[in-house]
Amino acid sequence: MFELLFKYPPAAFAQGRLVLLGSWPAWALAASIAAAAAVLALAMALRLRAAPASLAVRRAAVLWLLESALAAVVLILLWQPALAVSQLRPRQNIVAVLVDDSRSMSLRDGGARREDRAIDALRSGLLPGLERRFETRLYRFDTRVRRASLADLGPAEGAATHIGESLQELATETSDLPLGAVVLLSDGSDTAGGVDRAAIDALRRRRIPVHTVGFGALAPGNDVEVEDVTVAARALAGSRVSAEVKLRQSGYDGQRAQLTVRDAGRVLAAREIAFGSGGGMQVEPIMFDVGPAGAKSLVFSVAPLAAETNRANNALTRLIDVEAQPRRILYFEGEPRWEYKFIRRAADDDPMLQLASVLRVSENKIYRQGIKDPTELAEGFPTRPEELNAYQGLIIGSVDAGYFTPAQQALIRDFVDRRGGGLLLLGGRASLADGIWSGSLVADALPVVLPDSRHTFHREPATVSLTAAGEQSVITRLVDDPAANAERWRKLPYLMDYEDPGTPKPGAVVLAQMHYRGRTMPLLITQHYGRGRVAVLATGGTWRWQMSLPLGDPTHHEFWQQLLTWLVADTRGQVAASVPKSTLFDAGRVRLGAEVRDARYSPAADVTVTARVIGPGSAPRSIDLEPVRDAPGRFEADWTMQAPGEYVAEVEAHRGAVSLGRDVVPFQRLDGVAENFHTEQDQDLLERLAASTGGHYWRPDQMRDLARSIPYSQAGLTTHELAPLWNMPAAFLLIVLLKAGEWLLRRHWGLV
Amino acid sequence: MRWRGWLRSWRIPVSLGAFAVSALAVAAFVPPGGPRAYAQELRSLPDTTSEPSDGKAEFYWSRLRYTSSGYGRSGYGYGGGYGGGSGGYRGYGFGFGYFGWSRDYPKADRQMLLALKRLTRIQMRPTEQVVDLDSDDIFNYPWVYAVQVANWSFTDAEAKRLREYLLKGGFLMVDDFHGTADWDRFMVGMRQVLPNRPIEDLSDNDEIFHVLFDLGVRFQVPGEQYVWTGRTYEKDGYVPKWRAIRDDKGRIIVAICHNMHLGDAWEWADTPEYPEPFASLAFRVGMNYIVYGMTH
Repeated sequence: MFELLFKYPPAAFAQGRLVLLGSWPAWALAASIAAAAAVLALAMALRLRAAPASLAVRRAAVLWLLESALAAVVLILLWQPALAVSQLRPRQNIVAVLVDDSRSMSLRDGGARREDRAIDALRSGLLPGLERRFETRLYRFDTRVRRASLADLGPAEGAATHIGESLQELATETSDLPLGAVVLLSDGSDTAGGVDRAAIDALRRRRIPVHTVGFGALAPGNDVEVEDVTVAARALAGSRVSAEVKLRQSGYDGQRAQLTVRDAGRVLAAREIAFGSGGGMQVEPIMFDVGPAGAKSLVFSVAPLAAETNRANNALTRLIDVEAQPRRILYFEGEPRWEYKFIRRAADDDPMLQLASVLRVSENKIYRQGIKDPTELAEGFPTRPEELNAYQGLIIGSVDAGYFTPAQQALIRDFVDRRGGGLLLLGGRASLADGIWSGSLVADALPVVLPDSRHTFHREPATVSLTAAGEQSVITRLVDDPAANAERWRKLPYLMDYEDPGTPKPGAVVLAQMHYRGRTMPLLITQHYGRGRVAVLATGGTWRWQMSLPLGDPTHHEFWQQLLTWLVADTRGQVAASVPKSTLFDAGRVRLGAEVRDARYSPAADVTVTARVIGPGSAPRSIDLEPVRDAPGRFEADWTMQAPGEYVAEVEAHRGAVSLGRDVVPFQRLDGVAENFHTEQDQDLLERLAASTGGHYWRPDQMRDLARSIPYSQAGLTTHELAPLWNMPAAFLLIVLLKAGEWLLRRHWGLV
Repeated sequence: MRWRGWLRSWRIPVSLGAFAVSALAVAAFVPPGGPRAYAQELRSLPDTTSEPSDGKAEFYWSRLRYTSSGYGRSGYGYGGGYGGGSGGYRGYGFGFGYFGWSRDYPKADRQMLLALKRLTRIQMRPTEQVVDLDSDDIFNYPWVYAVQVANWSFTDAEAKRLREYLLKGGFLMVDDFHGTADWDRFMVGMRQVLPNRPIEDLSDNDEIFHVLFDLGVRFQVPGEQYVWTGRTYEKDGYVPKWRAIRDDKGRIIVAICHNMHLGDAWEWADTPEYPEPFASLAFRVGMNYIVYGMTH
C-alpha cells in the first residue's frame, strides 16, 4: 500500500534525501505559499462582509486553511520534488543473508521450529526476490559465520550465538567485496551479552545496513528459567552458605516447584518454592552446608514442571572456593563471665574456627586460651599491627575503651579498615556506652551511634525477635524457612541481660531486636567498614539459650558459629586473588587479578606476582601478573581458557625470596549452556542492531517488502538517482481530498 | 458438735505425738538461740560490698540443696536471683542441716565470696544462692557447690536434671566427704546422674590448678575438727583425692574434693586457731574451680 501511494518503498524515504528539481529556488516556493495564503485570506475577509450569517469567522478560517493547503500542495508539485537516493547496482552487488544456526533456533513456538520458519521465509519470498537483482550469499552462523547453501541449513545445533563476532567476521571476510546489505535471520538470543561496539563500527564504516528478521515468540511459553545465582565466591569448610536464586517463570502462576542445590550430584539443600502471580521475576533465598574444602561447582536448579517448553534453562552452575584453612579469632574479655565460656564452647565445636582468648581474671593475671605457643598474647592485647593482623577476627567483650591505648585503638580500627578483618563488640557492664567507646578511635567503625549516657547495661531479662533482614540472614538462620526462623527466634528463652546500643547508623543492618518492658532496641547490628565488617551484639547473656533449651538443642552454638563465621569468612590474606566473573559462557578470556599487601596490610610494592594455572587436560602453566598503574598493590594478567572446564589459579607473591602469601581462585568456562537461556526472541536487540546500521527490523511475513527495500543502500556499488515525487498518487489523492473536503463543508454549512 | 467428735477421735494423740517429736528434733538440731538467732547471725555475716544482697550479678555462689538420704531436705535456705527474672528471698527453711546440703552454710559461702571479690574481677552477688533440682531454675546458675555428698540422693527426675545441667555446660564442685564408705555412698548418687563417665585423679598439671593460682603443690585441707583433734583426716580418708569427671571434650564438669573439707576452711578462716595455710589453699582452690567453671 505504501509503495502504491508513494511510488517507492519506505527504505527509499528512510535512506533518501528530499530535493526540488524546479529551476526556481526553494525560498521562492515558501514565498509563493505565503503569498497564496495571504491572497486567499484577503479574499476570504472581503467575502466575509457580504456573506450570510451562517459563515462565521471560525468556519471561514477552516475554509481558508483548506484552500491554502491545496495551494501549497499544488505549488510544491510545481517545484518538482524528488528523492535523491543511492541504489545498489543490479547484479554488481552482494547481499549477505545470515541465518542463525544456534540451538535456540530449533525451539518450537507453538508450531514449526524457528529455523524451519526462517528457511520457509527464505524460499518463499526473500531469496527469489534478492537473487533477481543481486548476487546473494547465504551464511549460517552461531559463534562464527560459515558459507552455506539452502540445503545445508538445519538442524540448528550451534552451542552459542555470537551475533557481533559473526558480523565482524563477515565484514572482514567481505572487506574487498561490494557488500551492499546484510540480512540477518535470528531470534536475537545472543549469548555473548549483546552486539559489541566494534562490530557495529565495522559495519557503519562501510555503511552496510543490517536488516534483521526476528523469529520466535516475544514472550516465553510455559517456562521456568534460573536467571542468576548470587553466592559468595568463598566459604569456610563446613560452614552454612546463603545464596539468592533469581527465577523467571511464565505460565505457572501460583504453582509450586522444588529448588535444589547440588554438589557433584549430591543434594546439599532443597526447598519448595511458590511462584507468584503475573509471571515475571522472583528471588528465592536458599541456604546449604557447603561441605568439605575444595573448589566446588554447585548446581542450582528448579525441577522441571509439566508442559515446560524449555527444560535446559532450569539450572545454573556457580563455582565456590571452599577453604580448609581455619580462621583465627582473638577474643579479648575484661572479666570472667558466662558469655565468654559459652562462646568458647560454641567455637570449640567448629573445626574452622580457632578462638585465641585473653581474659582478665584478676588485676594482675590474664588467662589465655587457644594460643599456639606460650609467647602468643603473653603481653595481653597486641601492640603491633603484625601481631593483630595474624587474626582474621576480633571480639571485644566487657572491656572499657580506656583499657586500650590510643595506639591500640587505632590498631583495632585499622584491623577492620585496612586489613579487612571482622570486629565484634559484645554488650557488658564495661562495653559500648558504659565502656565509653563513643570517645574512642574505634567509634567511626561501629554500626551504631552509642548513647551519650552511661548505665546502659542492665541485668534484666530481654526477649528477642528478628527483623525482616534477620529472617533471611545467614548469621541468624536457625531454620531455613524465613517465617519459621522468625517464629523460632520469638520463642527463644530470654537473654540474661541487655545493653542499649544506641541508634543504628545509615547503612547498618539490624538483624535482631530485643524487648524489655515494652521497649525495643537493636540487638545485633552489622555493617561493612573499609575492607572489613563490624557487628555489635548488645548483650552478654545469650549463654542462657544454651542452659535453658533442651539438652542437645543446637541453637546457641549454631548462632555463634554462624556469627563468627560471618565475622571472618571474607577476611583475606596478604595476597587476594580474584577474577571478574568466575563462570564464562562460550568464552575463554579471563583477567586474573591480585591485591598484594605487606605485613601491615599496606599495598605492597617491589614484589613479583605469579599465577600457576591448572586446567583440564593440560599441564600447569605459569604467568606473571603485572602491576596496574594508579592502583598500588594491584596486579593483573590475561589468561585464555582454551577448552571448556574448571580452572584453578594459584597466585603467589614474593618480595625477593620471601613469600608474602598465596591465594587460590577458581574459574570455569562453560560452552553451550548460555544458549538455553533467554530463548524468547530478543526483539529489542534486533531493532537496535538494525537502527544503528541504517537497516530495519522485519517480521517474517514482511519478506517481500524486505526484498524491495534492499536496493536502497549506500554500501557496495551504487548509483545515485533522482526519483521524482510530483507524480506520486498520494499527492493527487491529497488534492482531491482537500477540494472534496472543502466542498462537503460548504454544503454542510449551506453555503452552496 | 463436730469438734467434740474430732477431739474424741484418734487424731489427737497422734497429732500431739508428732508435735512433740518435731519439737524435740528442733530443740536438738537448731543452733543455740533458734531461728531468730540464726537470722541475727545471717545479718552479722560479713557483707562489705556496696551491692545489694538481692541484686543481680554475673556470678552467684550457688549451693545445691538436695535430699539427704534418711534426713530429708532440711536446713536453712537463703536465696534469690533469677527464677523468671525476679529477685528476692526464696525463704527460710527450718531445720538443722548438719548432715545435709547446708553444712557450713552460709558463713563459708560468704567468706568465699569475699575472697572472690577481693582477688578476682568476677562481678558477683555478695550473698549465696540456694538452688534445687526440682525446678529448671538451676539452669540460670551454671556453677554449683555441694557438700556432704555422701548423703545425697536423687529422684530420677532430679538426676536427669542434674545430668542435663552438667552436659549443657554447668559445673559442679563437691566437697566434705571422707573415707571409703562416704565415697561409695557418693558414687551411688553420682552414678544415678552420670552412669558411665569415668572418674579420674587430677594431675598437678591439670589446667584447673593453674587457671588463676598455680596450685601444683597441694595438701589435705582438714575441717574445723583439726583444731581440737590435730588430725587432718576424718574416718579413713587419709589421703586427699583431687578428682574429676569430664565431658566428651575433656572439660571438667564435676570437680570432686574427697577426703578434705574446704568449706570448713572457708568458714573458720577467721578463727585464730585454724591454721592459715589450710584456709589459704582452700580459698585458692575454690577460686580456681570457679574461674575454671567460667572459662571451660
